Amino acid sequence: MIAKNPDSQNSVHFKIKRQDGPDKPAYWQTFDVPYKPNLNVISCLQAIAANPTTSEGQETTVVVWDCNCLEEVCGACTMVINGTARQSCSALIDQMREQGFGSRENPIVLEPMTKFPVVRDLWVDRSRMFKQLLRLKAWVPIDGTHKLGAGPKESPEMQDERYQLSRCMTCGCCLEACPQYLKDNHFIGANAIGQTLYFNEHETGKNLQGERLDVMMEPGGISDCGNAQNCVKVCPKEVPLTLAIAKVGRQVTVHAIKKFFMGK
Amino acid sequence: MSEHATTQSPKTSQGFLDKHHFLLRRLHSLSGIVPVGLFVCMHLFTNFQLAPALVGKANTFQHEVEFIHSLPALVIIEVSLWLGIGFHAALGLVYTFTGKANVKCYSYMDNVRYTLQRVTGILALIFIFLHIATLRWRWNLGGWFTPFFVEGPDGTPLVAATTAHALQGSALVLTLYIVGVFSVVYHWANGLWTAAITWGLTVSVQAQKRWGYVCLALGLVLAIFSAGAIGGALRYPISEKETAAYKASVEHYKQTGEIFHGGGHTPATIETTSPDQ
Repeated sequence: MIAKNPDSQNSVHFKIKRQDGPDKPAYWQTFDVPYKPNLNVISCLQAIAANPTTSEGQETTVVVWDCNCLEEVCGACTMVINGTARQSCSALIDQMREQGFGSRENPIVLEPMTKFPVVRDLWVDRSRMFKQLLRLKAWVPIDGTHKLGAGPKESPEMQDERYQLSRCMTCGCCLEACPQYLKDNHFIGANAIGQTLYFNEHETGKNLQGERLDVMMEPGGISDCGNAQNCVKVCPKEVPLTLAIAKVGRQVTVHAIKKFFMGK
Repeated sequence: MSEHATTQSPKTSQGFLDKHHFLLRRLHSLSGIVPVGLFVCMHLFTNFQLAPALVGKANTFQHEVEFIHSLPALVIIEVSLWLGIGFHAALGLVYTFTGKANVKCYSYMDNVRYTLQRVTGILALIFIFLHIATLRWRWNLGGWFTPFFVEGPDGTPLVAATTAHALQGSALVLTLYIVGVFSVVYHWANGLWTAAITWGLTVSVQAQKRWGYVCLALGLVLAIFSAGAIGGALRYPISEKETAAYKASVEHYKQTGEIFHGGGHTPATIETTSPDQ
């Protein structure tokens, strides 16, 4: 239906950027995977793992990738697919074939994210994001030895806003698409700003608001945002990242003025 | 565990920028609005007084410029503006190269807008530098010398004629002015939009959209002002009397380093505000 060529119709063609180790050079290989309905990129990578042979018929090593939940809630399988960062589990082959990808002339291109160090092939080390969350104290401080009683009440409006922020899975799409977040700079990135707002708006979490905003004022903090707003457009969980950036911007403005007049 | 988990230690050459990171970033944002942006609005509005020449009518540009030159302690205003523009430009250049444009992969309109902000910033800087250096400081850059005169030795008004002479005389200058002025207008309107996010003034998507329309309207008005001024200068008929007065002014300036300006027809440099000197 899509093409007369039976070969094109019966296999999905991939072009994959390979890298044997963190400091090894990158190279490209192509693979053909037999077509079946309802494939996704992960199941194709599984098929390649079962039969690691390139399109030219050459035996090669298994393509390595990271994944976990297979239902777009963990973020581990994020990679650059046809030039855009997204999860490979929710990248459906039937949809991509409809868009014209997967043929021999126009293969599905898989690359590791460029903003994180490559571990191997499509597997990257996303630990910079987790370190930033630690730095921001992205948690609600309730540890102690005594009983704290019932928690404070939260309005339905705030619940709704915070629920949207809570959907962030630290996948890294927002950072991959951000022109200000680079492998070798200090920018904290959109996801961390979203989590700052998430915990600053929690009735108990706001106890640490000042400390979080101090981090936001440091080099690499919120003022390195360039308002390109790619983050909110690529976010697979539709986290309102630009709202978070503007709200934390406002919190930082107030915090800085308070510090100027009342701080030590 | 909670120590700074930055991936690298800051470079020592960036020590000052890092130490005052937040303050400098916010001052950079503020300086784009006041004084630089506000001045751009006033400047472009003044220029618009040239527009009547488009329909062959007399313009009030001469009057406006004479008024500005009559302001007391003009040099303080001038130096503040130069410092403001210099500060905004120097930091802006540093900040421009902290990012890496990626419109090829992510061709959203907002991303194009982000990239254009950086491109127009650099174009505006080149233009403003050449504009001030030649017209105000009267540098002779490779023969591209357009001394700006308010009046000729005999009191002939020269403001419109000088501007017309500069823009009509060279396609290069005209191109520079068109590209430069519209870069300035875009950079100012878009900068006003992003500054509202930076400071936390516009928060919701809807608020950012509404403020976007305000900035778009401001940008369009300034673009119309600029187009009117450039069009007016191109259509302005330079008379023989003005040509003679202009030539005499150039000669006088070359010999004495002074220009004629303002009411009393006394030769004086702009810096010398007191008539006694």
